[in-house]
Amino acid sequence: MGKPKIATVWLEGCAGCHMSFLDLDEALLDILPLVELTVSPITDFKDFRFPEVELGIIEGGIGNEEQLEIARHLRSKAKIIMTWGDCAVFGGINTLRNWIPQKEVLHRGYVASESTVGGVIPMHAEIPRLLDHVIPVNQAITVDAYIPGCPPSPEVIAYSLTEILKGKIPVLPSEMIHFD
Amino acid sequence: MKNASAQVNITINGKELQVEEGISILFAARQNDIYIPTLCHHPALSEWGGCRLCVVEVDGSPKLAASCVTPVRGGMSIVTDNDRIVESRRTMLEFLFAERNHNCMFCPRSGECELQRLAYELQMDHLTVAFSFKEFPTDVTSRYMAIDHNRCILCGRCIRACQEIAGAQVLGFHHRGPKTMIGMDLKTERSNSTCMDCGVCMQVCPTGAISNRFRSHYAVKGHAPTSEKVESFCSLCGLMCPTDLYAGNNQLIRVDGCLSETAGRPDKGQLCYKGRFQVFQAPAGRLTQPLVRQPDGTWEVATWKDAIQIVAGKMADIQKINSGKALFGITSGMVSNEELILFKELMEKGWSAGYVDTLDGRYFRNLAAVYSKGNGAIAEASWKTIGESDFVLIVGGNPVRTQPLLTSLLRKRNYEENLKLAMVSHIDEQPSFITDYIHVHGHHLADLLRTLAVEAAALRKDNPAAGSKQSKGTATRLSQIGLADKEQGMFTSMARCYAEAKNPLIIIDTAVTGMTDCDCIAPILDLAKLKTAKGQEGQNLLILKPAGNSIGAWRAGIAAPSAPEGKDHLKGGIVLMGEEPALDEDLLGRIHSSEFVAVLTSYALPEWLDRAHVLIPKPMWMEQDGTFMSLDALEKAYRCRTLLPPEGVRPTWESLAAMEESIGMKNRIKSWDELRKKTEEMM
Repeated sequence: MGKPKIATVWLEGCAGCHMSFLDLDEALLDILPLVELTVSPITDFKDFRFPEVELGIIEGGIGNEEQLEIARHLRSKAKIIMTWGDCAVFGGINTLRNWIPQKEVLHRGYVASESTVGGVIPMHAEIPRLLDHVIPVNQAITVDAYIPGCPPSPEVIAYSLTEILKGKIPVLPSEMIHFD
Repeated sequence: MKNASAQVNITINGKELQVEEGISILFAARQNDIYIPTLCHHPALSEWGGCRLCVVEVDGSPKLAASCVTPVRGGMSIVTDNDRIVESRRTMLEFLFAERNHNCMFCPRSGECELQRLAYELQMDHLTVAFSFKEFPTDVTSRYMAIDHNRCILCGRCIRACQEIAGAQVLGFHHRGPKTMIGMDLKTERSNSTCMDCGVCMQVCPTGAISNRFRSHYAVKGHAPTSEKVESFCSLCGLMCPTDLYAGNNQLIRVDGCLSETAGRPDKGQLCYKGRFQVFQAPAGRLTQPLVRQPDGTWEVATWKDAIQIVAGKMADIQKINSGKALFGITSGMVSNEELILFKELMEKGWSAGYVDTLDGRYFRNLAAVYSKGNGAIAEASWKTIGESDFVLIVGGNPVRTQPLLTSLLRKRNYEENLKLAMVSHIDEQPSFITDYIHVHGHHLADLLRTLAVEAAALRKDNPAAGSKQSKGTATRLSQIGLADKEQGMFTSMARCYAEAKNPLIIIDTAVTGMTDCDCIAPILDLAKLKTAKGQEGQNLLILKPAGNSIGAWRAGIAAPSAPEGKDHLKGGIVLMGEEPALDEDLLGRIHSSEFVAVLTSYALPEWLDRAHVLIPKPMWMEQDGTFMSLDALEKAYRCRTLLPPEGVRPTWESLAAMEESIGMKNRIKSWDELRKKTEEMM
């Protein structure tokens, strides 16, 4: 068997979890030779037609139809889905908008913002529509491993990957769980 | 009846234990160092059994039992930890997280939250249920506390604390089911409720639902668990409430009352808005370097040594021309006994100052009848007798301004034990829990009290002439004072309650002792003497003091026995010591034309920048050690500092000692230990 293939996606989040991944610094040199990184924001792939992968990693919650589709697509191609960060696990800071009706959110952002004159809410077939609520990934697809944290620290990211490489589904011990 | 100390045998996790019959499983486990997680349980409060975090398996029963409300029974076999129990606990946590907004990354309590800690502990790394995303209001109508109902888990700790510790019964559950909310009185906002902002609800809140509005930068200042706890006490009002102070990065983070220790106090560790919040509200303009006014009126930074030299030199110059009579020392009543003793010594022995006084000297002089030496100075009642009295008469105003905790205790006893309370006041402000309230003009107050003393004497049981009728002349006097019929009725009821009470207490509020022409003390003493044996006068008299250590300053003999005379008074050189921003208007007016004003202060207040010539920084109370005296002068305690003063700010005693040194005083104090020992001996 060749090296396990990994795909990572960044949905409704801030890239902080991927930054934490890069923050592994020289430890990356130990992990990267053991895996094959396919589609990922880090490899700058623009094509989201995922290959079959052993591990799909999701950062960010699901807030629009495109994100929902990407998540479902990755699920269909990945043996294991691991969610990184509070947004993917709980919805995170994006859920702030869940307490406000969607219409109001769009109006505030595109029409009523202070710097906008004559703004309109963009509507086009190619623009993904917002979902009513931002939801955690496990509300849309089956998730196998949860790594909360905002962001998870590099040590926790490293732990999650090394567990997978050992053939285990990572379950964070108490001292590694953080919600902030 | 069961024998209270009967023992029963139980097993917890296979371990055989002998415990007291009837205690809860939780208590039995804790006694034996067996851990059970809890959330709605609080050691100082009654059990609620609402959160189901403490569930355990009893005798293999399929239904788990809440250990906090399940009493032990002989032969019980208890399991506190297995997969089923953990799963159940984790599910309960998931429900709590799903129900409202518990996103830690935008919560100020993150890092010191019990809900969060339990989620980590039980490895709740995701939710299996969907969030509700229901919006609840946030109440910021109190200037001290914010209530974010979105963070509330309805554990009811705040409600129980409000009822059982504060006795205020302000908080309660409103609405039902998923709409349930914590409410204040009959509303959902704290403003205009009967809440006295004691903050005990905030102290027991396990999440970020009730938070301190003065401490918003949690992330910057650090969280309580990583901070240092200092056992201290509050010296703001003289009740010396024990506190646990939490500080991190040399910043005060949290002030907690000691809820589980009563230490002979009637208050259960409640604290008040002053002790819990006022300490966070430092005025702007912290003074960190000595400032010296230049001839052109501008201020320049000076070294500490130079500033001390300037003060000593200026005072010596004035002394040379006008003798020590032109030198004055005035201190605040918020400072420690050590500072007071050294200040007095410097002023009296070092400079032979003409006049030494406290900022609250007026209060002391009004109480001359109580404190006058030789005339049989009386011992005041312990403030703790407030827990035992059967009738309390308050003269003056609501003590909530000076001693908020006292007001709370009175209200609590009124609610719980129907304690009879009455108030005569020249301030038109009736506390909601006092029904017998008479308001008269200030110049009638003494008359009213005199009449009350006469009436109470006539109604005393041991008085053979006592009847149900008012004594002769009382009605006439009351009409002259201007009491309406209803108030006359209250007057009679007050007099009767006082006369019949076994253990009455009279509280003299600072609104009385602070009056400019106060002639109320003598009639109050007459009234008090009616109920005490000879030689025990004052044992039913609680005299409130305006500042935290007023009594320390008065006992140290600093308050001047007679009022300063003449307009030109305080014209020479003055040294002032104190940190409180509330300064005496009268004093500020009088020092305006003084030749030289030096101030030892923590803050460069505009008042000082306007009038003083030298400002020497002084640590604030939390930044230095010192002994303080309780309101009733019956207790004193030594407190170590909680925070370090800003760099370069020396302890007050060092500045005073340096002044002594620069004027070449003999037998001066050379170390803190020496000063502490001397203070111990003198007071």
